[in-house]
Amino acid sequence: MNGIHDVGGKHGFGPVLVEQNEPYFHEEWEGRMLSMMIACFAAGIYNVDQFRHPIEKMDPRHYLMSSYYEKWLCTVEQNCIDAGIVTREEVDARHAQLMKGKAA
Amino acid sequence: MNMLTTDMVPTVLATGDPARVDVNVAPKFKAGDRVTVVNLNQVAHNRLPAYIRGKAGTVTFDHGVFVFPDTSAHRQGPKPQHVYTVVFTARELWGEAGHPQDRMYVDAWDDYLESAD
Repeated sequence: MNGIHDVGGKHGFGPVLVEQNEPYFHEEWEGRMLSMMIACFAAGIYNVDQFRHPIEKMDPRHYLMSSYYEKWLCTVEQNCIDAGIVTREEVDARHAQLMKGKAA
Repeated sequence: MNMLTTDMVPTVLATGDPARVDVNVAPKFKAGDRVTVVNLNQVAHNRLPAYIRGKAGTVTFDHGVFVFPDTSAHRQGPKPQHVYTVVFTARELWGEAGHPQDRMYVDAWDDYLESAD
């Protein structure tokens, strides 16, 4: 797929920034994201290629603005939707609920 | 549906999801062969970087047989095939912007390559 993910050779992104003493996770939720990714993989919901493809299909604006583990969230959600475990409506409703809690 | 148990976690974290498969498939190429990369523009998944499409390079190493991502991502089977390291000159990839002594090494599945001879 000729998606936004294939940035090799593109100009304008600036130098690759290397973080000194980089932690495994920058936020607590990133660790939970890793757990969810592995649990869904072990459950047989996706293989590594099925995991990668929805990340390529993300909205290009979202792709460029999202972090590594946010991309993982997108593909775990999409794969769970494709597998019939949750619906897009349920995922969106949960996002809205969490955003509401954050605003309160 | 399978379930991930606590005792499985260290193994899963250590090994990941290896795409190497123990299947006897004949390689199309060997180290030293000149190859051209196919000009693939499919909407389906692939792991072929755009900047090597249509470019000529040389096979430097045969890694063995691996699952093919293009079919695997779409539940169309593993289509096992060889993966090679192919070396390109920077000039081949980037024209005059490439340093004359730089080389780029890219791993590529058999289906991404054609003989350049």
